[in-house]
Amino acid sequence: MSPLQVNVAGVGLWMPQFPNAAAWAQRQPLAEGEPIKPTGEAFSRVNRRRASQMGRAIGDAVAEAMAQAGVDPRTTPVIVGSSIGEASAMIGLLDQMWRAQEPMSPAVFTVSVHNAASGLLSISMKNKGYTTSIAADYDTPAAALLEGIGLIATGHDAVCCVCADEESPRSLLEHAPHWDMLAGAVVLTKTNASDAGVQLTVHTSGDADVAGSDVAAKFTHNPQVGIIDLIDAVQRKANGMLRLDRGKGRGYLAQLAS
Amino acid sequence: MAPLLVTGYSMVSALGLGRRQHLEALAAGRTGLGEHPIDLDFETAAGAVRQPLPELPAELQPWSTRLARMAYALLQELDEPLRRAREKWRPDRVAVLLGTSTAGAETTEVAYKQFVAGGGFPRDYDFQRQHTFGAVLSVVRKLAGVDGPSWMASTACTSSGKTFATAQRLIAAGAIDAAIVGGLDTLCTMTMTGFNSLQALDSKPCRPFREDRSGISIGEGGAFALVERAGDARVLIEGIGETSDAYHISAPHPEGLGAQAAMHEALQRGGRYPTDVDHVNAHGTGTRLNDTAEANAIQCVLGTEVPTVSTKAYTGHTLGAAAAIELAFAACAIEEGWIPPAIGDGAIDPEVAVKIPTERMTGRFERVLSNSFAFGGNNVSLLVAKP
Repeated sequence: MSPLQVNVAGVGLWMPQFPNAAAWAQRQPLAEGEPIKPTGEAFSRVNRRRASQMGRAIGDAVAEAMAQAGVDPRTTPVIVGSSIGEASAMIGLLDQMWRAQEPMSPAVFTVSVHNAASGLLSISMKNKGYTTSIAADYDTPAAALLEGIGLIATGHDAVCCVCADEESPRSLLEHAPHWDMLAGAVVLTKTNASDAGVQLTVHTSGDADVAGSDVAAKFTHNPQVGIIDLIDAVQRKANGMLRLDRGKGRGYLAQLAS
Repeated sequence: MAPLLVTGYSMVSALGLGRRQHLEALAAGRTGLGEHPIDLDFETAAGAVRQPLPELPAELQPWSTRLARMAYALLQELDEPLRRAREKWRPDRVAVLLGTSTAGAETTEVAYKQFVAGGGFPRDYDFQRQHTFGAVLSVVRKLAGVDGPSWMASTACTSSGKTFATAQRLIAAGAIDAAIVGGLDTLCTMTMTGFNSLQALDSKPCRPFREDRSGISIGEGGAFALVERAGDARVLIEGIGETSDAYHISAPHPEGLGAQAAMHEALQRGGRYPTDVDHVNAHGTGTRLNDTAEANAIQCVLGTEVPTVSTKAYTGHTLGAAAAIELAFAACAIEEGWIPPAIGDGAIDPEVAVKIPTERMTGRFERVLSNSFAFGGNNVSLLVAKP
């Protein structure tokens, strides 16, 4: 695939103990040992209540990345990537049907769709333009970046790519390694000669020479860990090739140049 | 952006397997809605695929789900154009960009029911190979013999429509040369119960744009299209509009403002005027709110005289697959020179100001607008044209 270059103009993240990218950069958990719940910064108050924990983590990461990049939330396209989407909402619905044998909650059903977070974001941010929600297992971060690069190559000035997966559904993934929830966002912009930020290209193959982040083991199996590795590398102003899938996907790499 | 060249397409729905069976049903005005295999405690008609789906090859059995077997059926119909594309383009330059709403939910809910009953999960159930939104992608890549970028769009009922826009951008950006696009979804208890909880299901086959319409009939199926940078196009996609209502998570904007914006954007990107449109394949779910809002939107953008049909009265609402299936019907209208009658019991709603033909219409259909709208206020409009 031909490499297409963009600029990384802003980053944001949410992980338990690290509620934003600045806290992560300094390795300063705000409340040591205490899990902090995401607040859903980008959402209106009513939509914050509707959003799942993952949705709120997405809202926090998007708000931070967009503020850092200085882009307008009303017009910036948002790509939400998630491998399993709102899986806990789905399990809740299955429990209502099969275990409790109760009537299904229409409110939960409407936010059980994969694009619940992107829909709530567009409503909250009054964004009447493009938004999408995508999935590609461990290649989701690469897919979100490629979707974003496609938008920029065809006329958009800036795009926000946010990737998140909630805690692994233990009952459905009995024999697989457990992972904890995380969300990471990057704002991509067109490259200009004067850009001081990090230049990014995505490659389908190659050798990595930039190490992934030092996230705790409980995050390393999250299919979106690659977005945290990318954010970490951007914060470190790393130069070189970084794997976006921790060796569990199809081998996509990000080439970074500061 | 240059128009997207559609060099082949395939379809599966309650009307049958493949283009020929679909054309026969559409020409006869014969619905595929009726009884279905899902065990529910309420009445509703649905569009079930009744023909047997092909079994996956032995090496892909761990990935075997109804969704994956549907994908296999769609690829079999696309075999000839795919063979030509593989000769023309490098495998890593052919993308697989699909859409789904339910992904593997049908398999998971059966497994979970057994788990809740105390029997544990079925031995062959595998969440990562059978449930995740990306699970079917590896099956499609292997069966199609392509190795380009691949991901699943999941924006509820616009999912498969988004894939055409992504392919158009990636081709324009020089990132790929061709793509298998489209989408697929299967019937499942959770979806049907969920729409019932919203009081959005009709107990009879759905009746889009009819005065006494009272909701959706859910369907299953899929459609794939091969789109290429260059080649012998059967139809073109001249412009695509992608907008958001920014209004409500599950209800359309009452005046259909987001829908209007999507149609305007499709026309503008295609460099066309409203008078260039010969037919609309409406989203037309059969709910009171959707059909009223969409009819208002079509009237505002195109006026009242463009014949408008919702083919969901034939297939049911196939959710993430709907946009691709209806794109295939738009292509059929252009290639065959006729559009199917709007079917369904009852009189056309007098408040629907657009033209709803209840007889099959023949003529020159050179340009068709196909609409899809979704939860989240997500709208996609595809402008399909004769090459």
